[in-house]
Amino acid sequence: MTATVEAPPAPVEVEPRPRRRSPLDRERPGVRVAAWATIVVFGGFGLLPVYWMLTTALTPDGKVFAYPPALFPTDVTFEHFAALAGNSQLFGYLVNSAIVSSVTAVLSVVVSAYMAYSFSKFRYRGRRSLMYLVLSSQMFPQALLLVTLYALFDAYDLLNTYTALVLSFTTFTLPLCVWMLKGFFDTIPDSLIEAARIDGASQLRIIHSVIVPLSGPGLIAAGLFAFVRGWNDFIFALTLAGPDKQTLPPGLTNTYLGEAQTAWPELMAASLVVSLPVVVAFIALQRFLVGGITAGAVKG
Amino acid sequence: MSTVAPRRGTPGQGLSGGVFAVLLVLPGLALLAAVVLYPLVSSLVTAFFEQSLVAPGRSFVGFDNLAAVLDSDFLPLLRQTLVFTVGTTLVPFVIGFGLALALNTRIRGRGFLRGALLLPWLVPAVVTSFLWMWIFNANYGVANGVLETLGVIDEPEAWLSSPGTAMAAVIIAKTWASFPWMMVMLLAGLQTVPPELHEAAQVDGAGTVRRFRSVTVPHLRGIIGLVVLLELIWNFQHFDTIYVMTGGGPAGTTETFAVAVYDTFYKGHDLGRAGAIGLLWMVLLLVLVVGYLRVVDREEKP
Repeated sequence: MTATVEAPPAPVEVEPRPRRRSPLDRERPGVRVAAWATIVVFGGFGLLPVYWMLTTALTPDGKVFAYPPALFPTDVTFEHFAALAGNSQLFGYLVNSAIVSSVTAVLSVVVSAYMAYSFSKFRYRGRRSLMYLVLSSQMFPQALLLVTLYALFDAYDLLNTYTALVLSFTTFTLPLCVWMLKGFFDTIPDSLIEAARIDGASQLRIIHSVIVPLSGPGLIAAGLFAFVRGWNDFIFALTLAGPDKQTLPPGLTNTYLGEAQTAWPELMAASLVVSLPVVVAFIALQRFLVGGITAGAVKG
Repeated sequence: MSTVAPRRGTPGQGLSGGVFAVLLVLPGLALLAAVVLYPLVSSLVTAFFEQSLVAPGRSFVGFDNLAAVLDSDFLPLLRQTLVFTVGTTLVPFVIGFGLALALNTRIRGRGFLRGALLLPWLVPAVVTSFLWMWIFNANYGVANGVLETLGVIDEPEAWLSSPGTAMAAVIIAKTWASFPWMMVMLLAGLQTVPPELHEAAQVDGAGTVRRFRSVTVPHLRGIIGLVVLLELIWNFQHFDTIYVMTGGGPAGTTETFAVAVYDTFYKGHDLGRAGAIGLLWMVLLLVLVVGYLRVVDREEKP
């Protein structure tokens, strides 16, 4: 048991750097090997499909529809992306997705900010029950809600409208957005609000001029999350939107899977395009996310 | 997990808001009532009526719908839903926990891997479905290509249209979409384990496996309970992946409660039967939700 090859260079710094070493880092080779084996096998399961989506999207039709498939592309083409760009029907779905998701984002931020502020800064009877109600509302299966929601929207002539989608998506974002924003507002000291009140600001004015400017990052994170929620939804858009207002997820499903021979490379290219805004949004909000998902316990 | 009920920064009393505080919650409450609460209750109530999506009017039939469902579809639906739910929770848990442990070591490239491995979780559910349909494609799929080259199978398999393999294929697809979230949550949990605990255990002569069992796992018990319960709840009602990939087929072998309720209502136009399946589904789901709320409640108290 010779000292495991740890030949640390003599500490040059006068002050010892407080190194928080993970207990596993001194580890024996066995643990290292196990860690790498896990990464190769499980990480491969995670990343190889991404590689395959990319490869398929960039491969000409003639090479894609061959068996056994070539694992490494020899010809690279952008023709499938070009085909998407020239498809006016898909462009319509894209516009619908953009409109529905953006309006959802704005409405969700407004509604959940008011709600979160009330939960965070005031104490009243029933507050706790309300918070539980918001939290548990995401637990009800959407397929079941649709059984009568469809007729309800129909009764108000809201079927095949953006409104039906925006109202539904906004509601489903409440648990996460309210929780996330409540966490944000909790860190704003009450004394600030009291000071504004003494200065004669109205309750609403306090929210708009004191709280909102202090909560920019939280509001943006909530908005991005709500955007993604609307962007990714499948079942509501499939059921309530009708052909004209359909968003990308059901639109792509109906366009490509409805055909006898699916144009897989084009569908993979479209998949990359649909995923892109979500990835961008995530990169923007990732530092809020881990706390947020624990709190609201919602998944996009 | 202080984020569940962050009280820090706010004195316990709170501000006096009176009517204003209530007004603030009204828009959100109205949405919840219209989009969740009313539809939920009225959908469950239709279980006791004969009612069509396309014709007006309904008639009370008592427990007829429920009896009809219990007589025919219920057991296969329950079995398939449970297989899907447990499969899409346990497999991602094992993969997510394994990766979390591996990425919690100081290996090279872990920052990149942590980010890259989130991609499967980020893509929309329909994209997951498209991708795995293509991978499992009977004629040109890469799954067949690789497995045949490795000699695992002799001839191309129609994974998604064979009753014996469709459920496994759907579970694999959903696993791919689920494991990153579990990985992130467990990794966050692992990073809260105080290194001193491990060091003390090491001094006491505990090996890696022993420390994992006696230090890591007990410390993570709360978060493990939470992620497993939440994933069970989500998967118990999951719709998108199954519906896009197989539509519940072949021969109904991947049909779950979610798909059955949807098809009965939207394609079959039979609201009463959809409500009856939904009612049974809801009762089972409630067990999971109550469990979840209890875990949250316990975690919330310091």
